[in-house]
Amino acid sequence: MRDFALSPELEELRAAADRLARSELEPNVREAEAAGRWPDAVLAVLDGFPLGGLDVPVSLGGVEAGCFAKAVVLETIARADASGLPGADRPGPTAGAVAACPDAALAAEVAGSCLDGSAQSAFTVIDPDVGSKGLDWAPGWPALRWIWAMEGDELRLHEVTGGTEPIVSLAFQASGGVAVPWSATTLRGSWVLPAREALEVRGRARLWGAAVAVGIAQAALDETIEYTSDRVVFGKPVAHHQANAFDLAHTAARVHAARLVVRDAAGSFDRGEPDAGFWATQAWLEVREAAFNATNVGIQLLGGHGFIVDHLAEKRFREARHLAMAVGGLDAAEFDVAATVLDVPDALLASLEQR
Amino acid sequence: MIELDKRTQEMLEEVRALGRTHIRPMGLEADRTAMPPPVDHEFYLICTRQGGLVSKMIGADESPNALDWKPVRNFLIGEECAYWDRGVALSLPGPGLGGPALRNTGTPEQRQRFLSIFEDHSKARWGAMAMTEPEAGSDVARIKTRARKVSDEHGGEWVLNGQKMFCSNSARADWVVVWATIDPELGRGGHRAFVVERGTPGFEIIKIEHKMGSRGYETASFVLEDCRLSGDNLLGGEGFYEARKGFKASMATFNMTRPLHTAHGVGMGRAAHDYALDFVRDEYPAQGRRRQRALERLARIRRGLHTARLMYLNAVWLAKTGQSNVLEASFAKMYSPPVVLEAVATALDILGEAGVRNDKMLEKLYRDVKILDIGEGTQQVQRHVVARQMLQMPST
Repeated sequence: MRDFALSPELEELRAAADRLARSELEPNVREAEAAGRWPDAVLAVLDGFPLGGLDVPVSLGGVEAGCFAKAVVLETIARADASGLPGADRPGPTAGAVAACPDAALAAEVAGSCLDGSAQSAFTVIDPDVGSKGLDWAPGWPALRWIWAMEGDELRLHEVTGGTEPIVSLAFQASGGVAVPWSATTLRGSWVLPAREALEVRGRARLWGAAVAVGIAQAALDETIEYTSDRVVFGKPVAHHQANAFDLAHTAARVHAARLVVRDAAGSFDRGEPDAGFWATQAWLEVREAAFNATNVGIQLLGGHGFIVDHLAEKRFREARHLAMAVGGLDAAEFDVAATVLDVPDALLASLEQR
Repeated sequence: MIELDKRTQEMLEEVRALGRTHIRPMGLEADRTAMPPPVDHEFYLICTRQGGLVSKMIGADESPNALDWKPVRNFLIGEECAYWDRGVALSLPGPGLGGPALRNTGTPEQRQRFLSIFEDHSKARWGAMAMTEPEAGSDVARIKTRARKVSDEHGGEWVLNGQKMFCSNSARADWVVVWATIDPELGRGGHRAFVVERGTPGFEIIKIEHKMGSRGYETASFVLEDCRLSGDNLLGGEGFYEARKGFKASMATFNMTRPLHTAHGVGMGRAAHDYALDFVRDEYPAQGRRRQRALERLARIRRGLHTARLMYLNAVWLAKTGQSNVLEASFAKMYSPPVVLEAVATALDILGEAGVRNDKMLEKLYRDVKILDIGEGTQQVQRHVVARQMLQMPST
């Protein structure tokens, strides 16, 4: 029987994350976007909060609470404000790459510098058919030092040794934003991983974005319901018109479904299941659609108010799309699941008799 | 295949040239600074000096009663303008949405008084129309801006009180067509339209909105506080409203602006398509799997945009031939925005990680296009209009 409950410890952690997000982040969303970083007061609190190290092994300086716990905490924070998360959560999406790096000393150096706040890391997927001139976007603070790049099943670690280019991006302005040509980096290591491990690394990066996107989608749904329950058109609240009520119900179901697949995939990493990378990629694909839908409906049902910065609907719409293009984007994810789908058994029926 | 007459081709070429040199660069600059181009921008003067083309760009210059009315041409030009930057296209000098309202509703004297200013090609001028209010967006029948007649002498005098928002170009307009009600209890029958000129005491711009995208034109809110107007500013005169044409007149405006909105969407979708196509040609190897997937997606984008174009051309053709286009105008407005949003999202998917960068134009387009599904009646309002017409549902 699958237990969907959070453990008391995790519930406590979730509640702490929620308090932090509601009291420190939510009131300062636009100021943080304008400043290009979360407020120092928030960052100071986060120093004592085990965000970055939650899914990092103890041997690398983390607290090893697991991917499930990380997903829950990310969703909780993103529900209040996701804009500074890429900057604040280190090694964040690259935690899987750090854990998979065969060079233990190098992995420890990367994890240590990320966790102590002195360095930022980023993750990118390169299509072997297409190649890449550099990294298109990474958080701008703290200074970007490490770039994990996967080309096929080859994992490479680049250290940024030259200048980075400040870049304006679609979303996550409170994380800053830089781009880096490969010529401004030094290759510190390169390893060809077994296919399943390589997919796990990409899956961990996708899981990070998917967990954040669930929080964004839930926040969009919350605001839409609140606004449309209050505003009256054609004689009744916007939400009470059947067409809109159906849209909201559909959106709520998709957000709920998205949360389930994210937590299920996160749990599969924690349980050491061999197909965790596949399920995390499937979750990412599910969530990118659900988050697009929730944030799109969010703007739509707010009408013109959804398009202006007085509300957060437009911010969430941008953030959902930004996440949908990370880790190589849609093509990379669909190539990954297509390459492995025939080898992955049904999660439930595989234990039963073969037909 | 859509055949274009020689003059239309020439005008499209003209717009294309201006698009490259001015419209797109101005749109990118407006997006970067989050400010529309200033009223004294040289491009506005260039457009003004060229006369008719300016108004044709926004598809709003000619009377439906004129024998040479060329709405199809105008809409194609509108599509081409939006290809380069819809926000800047909407900011171009001219009567804007106030134009159709004046032409449909105004007396000959009012048309002369308020539209002839655009014949002066020495200065850029704007008109605007204000319907939306903080508490009345889609449900325009609920507008609360109050018009009270305070005198019958000298053709009458009116006082307006209320607030309008999401009004394009109103902060720079010489006049704004303002919809108000003489009594909210009368519903649509109480609607009256007034032309409020800039500088009229009591008319005050209170806010320029900060928008996610479409920053090439300004969107403003204004208040009317004991704003006194002569009866000559009541659009159409009192007789027009005694025939209970008020609300219908305001809605008739949308039967042409909704297809124009669709034309703009097609232009923006084409821009996304072309950007992604160039990216595919430059970046993806000829035989690779990425190229094949991208081409399949581009074909899907083209299919949707072609269909949307046919829908707006059909709605315009109905109007041109004197037939009702209420349903078809809403069909077009309902179909196009999701197709265009999908086009831009698909184009972003083709770019992958690079798509999030602001220096790739698609990031801006993604923020720009969402307004298409909101302005001129949201997706939900279009469904409402269509369902009511199609199923003979009672008005609400």
